[in-house]
Amino acid sequence: MTVPASSPVAVTGTAMVTCLGDAGETFAALLSGATGVAPLSTLDSEALRVGYCYPIQDGAETQLRPSRWLADVVARAAGEAGLDPAAKRVAVVVGSGLRELRSVERWHADGAELTLPDLHFDAAVRAVLPGVTEVLTISNACSAGGYALAVGMDMLAQDEADAVIVAGTDTMTESMLAMIGRVGDEPTTHVAPFDTDRGGVLLGDGAVAVVIEPDGAEPLARIRSVGLSCDAFHETAPDRHGIAAAMRDAHGRAGLGPGDVGLVLAHGTGTALNDPTEAAALTEVFGTHTPPVTGIKGAVGHTSGGAALMSLVVAVDALRAGVVPAVTGLSAPIDEAAALEFVLGASAPLTARIAQVDAFGFGGVNAVTMVEV
Amino acid sequence: MRVAITGHAVHVPGLSAADLPGSPAEPAAGPDEAHRVLGRKGLLAKEPATRLALCATQVALGLPAGRLTEPVAGAPGTAVVVASNLGNVATVCEVVDQVRTEGGRAVSPLVAPNASSNIIASSIALRFGFTGPNLMVCSGATAGLDAVRLGALLVRTGRTHRAVVVGVEPDDEIATRLCPGLRTAAAAVVLEPDGAGTAPALGMLTRARTRLDSTVDLPLETHGAAGVLGVAVAAALGTDQVVACGSDADSYAAMPVTGVRALVGVP
Repeated sequence: MTVPASSPVAVTGTAMVTCLGDAGETFAALLSGATGVAPLSTLDSEALRVGYCYPIQDGAETQLRPSRWLADVVARAAGEAGLDPAAKRVAVVVGSGLRELRSVERWHADGAELTLPDLHFDAAVRAVLPGVTEVLTISNACSAGGYALAVGMDMLAQDEADAVIVAGTDTMTESMLAMIGRVGDEPTTHVAPFDTDRGGVLLGDGAVAVVIEPDGAEPLARIRSVGLSCDAFHETAPDRHGIAAAMRDAHGRAGLGPGDVGLVLAHGTGTALNDPTEAAALTEVFGTHTPPVTGIKGAVGHTSGGAALMSLVVAVDALRAGVVPAVTGLSAPIDEAAALEFVLGASAPLTARIAQVDAFGFGGVNAVTMVEV
Repeated sequence: MRVAITGHAVHVPGLSAADLPGSPAEPAAGPDEAHRVLGRKGLLAKEPATRLALCATQVALGLPAGRLTEPVAGAPGTAVVVASNLGNVATVCEVVDQVRTEGGRAVSPLVAPNASSNIIASSIALRFGFTGPNLMVCSGATAGLDAVRLGALLVRTGRTHRAVVVGVEPDDEIATRLCPGLRTAAAAVVLEPDGAGTAPALGMLTRARTRLDSTVDLPLETHGAAGVLGVAVAAALGTDQVVACGSDADSYAAMPVTGVRALVGVP
């Protein structure tokens, strides 16, 4: 079927919290090459075979941390946008790979408190924004935030909301860490996207919120499109064709060609499979035109449901500031990425208006965003 | 654009069409008997909720029982939207128990995909070859109607030519501790643009903080599956219905389903 054109929507507020701090602190840290990696101290790293992570270090572990981070960023983003849920229909779409499953684990194994509604984010959002029309929790693994953004755009396009707060939040679960330790070769000390010496993925804590509204005067940025696809190829291995399809879907909806893209925020997880697959898809789609490519997971880890929107916020910061951070953790790119122009070593000046933001999830769920300033 | 329900299946283990409209003629298979519907291939390490969701999808698409022998018509670009809150909570807890008693090496890599909450939606895409948008909705007691609404949104915006919407919850010990009285159930509906006007159609979702009434009688606690179950039953009945779901904590949602006969003469 032909790809329908997307109407641009305005970004009117953003907020973020990562292991490196709030959005401003995170962008500054990215520019300086800092990383938030730290030893995994809250769990049995030997049993899990995972030694490091990118944690938000806010004291002893408690229940419902992703809910609290989410409430914080939703309130701040809504404040920046000046949203009044009493005056217009404000919907909230939350992307989360692991929801409150860490709280389920602590409830099951440690006797912590939990009730059924704690599993999703309705109450957490309504505590800070009581008047919102709805709170949807979408659990699309590592591309959840990108999928949430697509849903939010579609809701605006169909006049089902006047503004949508699109958010992502996640913390590490013991069960997911066990899986990473179980299927990885050797425990890794940091995330090294696209590097020949990459040792695999490490998880990060964090939350992010982005307010989108119908296009208006002087927004922070415009979302031109979100392209979606599902590989339907393999449960855990990514597929180049599915990823390229999401990129082309995003370009087609925005009415843009590869030559219009001035920056790529790669998914770049540092795993054996993602990085060569993503590099091949980027090479296939962009051909000889290769915009600068960067990625943030070497600095903030893989933040799952928040990952796509955190990359989006960093892309907007980079486009607006005219400077793009280097790929933290990358020094020797893999052969499959030979055609890509990585930002290496130090941040670099940038004169671009349009960025592409990649997010690919477990199960082959892909979301690619085109953003313009 | 009107969005039509062009396929439906109710799959509540042990219940037949005599018990609940839209169910199979013989009592629906439980998770351990899912091979009666799906064939034996590909069920290894699949959780009960995933198995029942695959059964409901297979029936809603009108596919014969057994393993797929040829590609499903229209599979490329078909979207999948699944509502479930508790599908993988038992696996998550079992993995933690294993790590703490035997260490991480004891965990089966076959179970690894089940640690991710979108395992049901991605399993459906993989089995049937659905390459369109793939959404996992975990929004509590209204998840079922939230999923139907999002499936309809994907059709209305032209993101897909067909959305398969599935609701499912398990009834393992962990799930029933969190949700007392929960009964395992699955249901699926197939949504397409309504060209001919010969199929039941969806109305728009409404929400309220207080209880909304359903005209479809569902005598089971099925939590996040309830909204899809209600729409599938309404489609089977073929008459005008209002489907509602929700809870005091999660608020309530309702959606009208327009019956086939009511469409005559409607532009």
